[in-house]
Amino acid sequence: PVERKKQSNIISEEEAAQYDRQIRLWGLDAQKRLRGSRVLLVGLRGLGAEVAKNLILAGVKGLTLLDHEQVTEESRRAQFLIPVDADGQNQAQASLDRAQLLNPMVEVKADTDAVGSKPDDFFFQFDAVCLTRCSKDLMVRVDQLCASRNIKVFCGDVFGYHGYMFSDLGQEHHYVEEKPKVVKGSNEANDGPEAKKPKVDPNETTMVKKTVSFCSFKAALEVDWTNEKAKNNLKRIPVDYFLLQVLLKFRTDKGRDPQPDSFAEDSQLLLQIRDDVLETMGLSSELLPNTFVSYCFSEMAPVCAVVGGVLGQELVKALSQRDAPHRNFFFFDGLKGSGVVDYFGSK
Amino acid sequence: MAQLVGPLRKELADSLSSCRVLVVGAGGIGCELLKNLVLAGFKNIEVIDLDTIDVSNLNRQFLFQKKHVGKSKAQVAKESVLRFCPSANITAYHDSIMNPDYNVEFFRNFQLVMNALDNRAARNHVNRMCLAADIPLIESGTAGYLGQVTVIKKGQTECYECQPKPTQKTFPGCTIRNTPSEPIHCIVWAKYLFNELKTERGCLFGEEDADQEVSPDTADPEAAWNPADAAARATASDQDGDIKRVSTKEWARSTGYDPVKLFNKLFKDDIMYLLTMDKLWKKRKAPLPLDWTEIQQIGEEACGTGLKDQHVLGVQGYAQLFRRSVETLRSQLIEKGEGAELVWDKDDPPAMDFVTAAANLRMNVFSMNMKSRFDVKSMAGNIIPAIATTNAVIAGLIVLEALKILNSDFDQCRTIFLNKQPNPRKKLLVPCALDHPNPNCYVCTSKPEVTVKLNVHKTIVQALQDKILKEKFGMVAPDVQIEDGKGTILISSEEGETEANNNKFLSDFGIRNGSRLQVDDFLQDYTLLVNVIHSEELEKDVEFEVVGDAPDKAPAPSAPEEEKNIANGNKDSAQPSTSSKAAEDDDVLLVDSDEEPSSSTMEASPESSNRKRKHCDADTDDAASKRKRLDQQPADDDDDVIALD
Repeated sequence: PVERKKQSNIISEEEAAQYDRQIRLWGLDAQKRLRGSRVLLVGLRGLGAEVAKNLILAGVKGLTLLDHEQVTEESRRAQFLIPVDADGQNQAQASLDRAQLLNPMVEVKADTDAVGSKPDDFFFQFDAVCLTRCSKDLMVRVDQLCASRNIKVFCGDVFGYHGYMFSDLGQEHHYVEEKPKVVKGSNEANDGPEAKKPKVDPNETTMVKKTVSFCSFKAALEVDWTNEKAKNNLKRIPVDYFLLQVLLKFRTDKGRDPQPDSFAEDSQLLLQIRDDVLETMGLSSELLPNTFVSYCFSEMAPVCAVVGGVLGQELVKALSQRDAPHRNFFFFDGLKGSGVVDYFGSK
Repeated sequence: MAQLVGPLRKELADSLSSCRVLVVGAGGIGCELLKNLVLAGFKNIEVIDLDTIDVSNLNRQFLFQKKHVGKSKAQVAKESVLRFCPSANITAYHDSIMNPDYNVEFFRNFQLVMNALDNRAARNHVNRMCLAADIPLIESGTAGYLGQVTVIKKGQTECYECQPKPTQKTFPGCTIRNTPSEPIHCIVWAKYLFNELKTERGCLFGEEDADQEVSPDTADPEAAWNPADAAARATASDQDGDIKRVSTKEWARSTGYDPVKLFNKLFKDDIMYLLTMDKLWKKRKAPLPLDWTEIQQIGEEACGTGLKDQHVLGVQGYAQLFRRSVETLRSQLIEKGEGAELVWDKDDPPAMDFVTAAANLRMNVFSMNMKSRFDVKSMAGNIIPAIATTNAVIAGLIVLEALKILNSDFDQCRTIFLNKQPNPRKKLLVPCALDHPNPNCYVCTSKPEVTVKLNVHKTIVQALQDKILKEKFGMVAPDVQIEDGKGTILISSEEGETEANNNKFLSDFGIRNGSRLQVDDFLQDYTLLVNVIHSEELEKDVEFEVVGDAPDKAPAPSAPEEEKNIANGNKDSAQPSTSSKAAEDDDVLLVDSDEEPSSSTMEASPESSNRKRKHCDADTDDAASKRKRLDQQPADDDDDVIALD
């Protein structure tokens, strides 16, 4: 954002008591940075609600919930923030009260506009942006807009048993890591004069500064698979990356995600898109076997919890500038229970 | 093609809405788990938790708000869930799962049990109940950024107790009393000291717990130039309270708990006494006594920014804190009246102040850098840092395992580890095949048996019951028969029946080397045969040994791998327990998320464990059929071994 984040140096007693268990984990400095951060969260379905909960509990300064869609029975059952009598209301608006109650110290707002209709400068008020249920083009646009301004960009979705998270923390993301201090010199077995020196606390640690760079969402999705090197590496690539490409294409073409109501029709379309997408990339359809269609419909609540947990924690890390961020994709396969981090795009 | 109800096949969706599940614990994992269960379509859920809500829970136990502090976790959790899913059928119990009301029949009501616990005793107990009822159990635990989920099914997988868990690390008495070298030693000392002072009872030294003595240990073998000398000193001190040492408590009472006198005794006189044991200081830096009057001359240091609790005071500051807290505790004792006792609680400010002050003064005496109240509280209270996201991930994984079980896809079930950073194979979440039961497990085999080494002339029946059968072997209400041909009953779980036996020695009942005891816990439907080996050569401070246990290991002092170790090297993570009772702690990654109890909670303390996972999944080659049976160990290399220290 344009203005620099101000760090208030005073943590109130109330905050200290409430955040005690997390301050003991990531330290007071990190908590202060969180406290100064404003986040935009787009999409309040299953995944969005999880991310909202995690950020609000962590204690960010402000969270804007943005969603233009209306509550339906299906969407209401997918998350825990919307009251039972809210069908027909705006999804962000309906989630607001319960979200705010999670932590009164956070400023939670609802915005009912479509994210695609927002002008560029709308995004500049935030330190981080998290996009769910957005089309590929929209994610590319927002990412391009934000990353150059040091606004951290995150994307994530859940499709049935599968989920992913992507992050673009910019060309130069600075963070610190806590490392144990290397204790040189005497140890207990040494009987020399050093043994009479006061003992160095073996638990002492030191903060190490690091910098890491990220590529754009566009670059991450447009990896060239036709060259030899890429082809040789294919075995180590999580198949979920290609599944994501297929599902994003479906979303662009149909304007929605695969729905149980149109299972037969959508399954056919998914298989066809798979063929098209992989062919365009110069790859075989066998890379993504047919069975995938059975497991990418709707949003599985436990998968939202897992992906939302990882995504939420990545946001916390990025905003607090503490601990190494995952680069740059996280894929979760709920059938296998495997969660993989991998980098796609120019390093 | 399959018919879907939301993301699930219809058959599965139907079985979700009809099955009954039990959630044990409504804290960090429990709140997330309840939410996931109802959103996934589970309808009949029972949840039990004995705890009440504390403000420090609110950063992650999202079903609770500030206005709920003090209320029952199970009850409030149920109410909050019903608000977004009114059709759910939830029963809440504000109770301990170890209450005999929850017998095997109770457990048989459920198709699945899911633990969301924070202490080993309860985990052991639920493990046994699920074995007895033959119900699948999903176990889990989190600590900081790390977490783990696993599935336990009788006869098919390891049970929770198949692998021996290391017992709580304790420190030798002489380290605590004579030669502390680390802050934790001083903190343990300070807690023992609190217990010494808290009671008005006119009993002798260490009656509460003979293991918690704080004054200089004259029988320290290291202190003697020759062994006879040590023995002589020890005898001299026991014989006549007048001459050498009286109990700290008696002495304190006799001086009316005068803080200044107490200060000078503990940090000057006792230290000077230690200095006379000069052999101890040949190779160690000698302690430097403090004097109250001298300290008053030293100025107090200014405060910086940051949490008030995170400031490290100077010695003058801690001396003042010592005085204030002793005075406050003294008033508390007086107010309570004759025979009163104070129970140490990290959330009780004067109690915490006292330990902070006393520990730091001792650290200063022994030339250690002093610690802030914040850090002391972590160590003294066995606090494990906790955040919402780790619990959210683990609770998501629990429900996914639950779905596999209900779908009869048991061969798909896995142990899954959550790391802080991806491993060399890029995995942040590492699924591993479940292990088969340990044929030598002392819990889940058909005829469990153990061998215990102890001194039959020095072990009393009470100790057998409390420290061995309950603490070590996880029983709740043991009944013990001696296999002496007469079926002599040594211990009855019925209250009062065998109380007369409690203070007698085992040898009084004819128990000797080679004796066998049949121990039953009827609640757990568990029978254990205990072989007794008599030994007079146990190490100092060791009351018994289980033959076949790995010796206790100290936590490794060198640089840890963060993903693998929960309890080492990171000052934010759990330290060895400072609780006086032995292991109520946790292990592996099934770690305690809770800390030393306030009076309403069960004891819990964190711990580390050694556990090599040998069979972690390779990426499945056969992507064509995700539902292929994977009941053989994948021919994989050891890349995914996670060794937890």
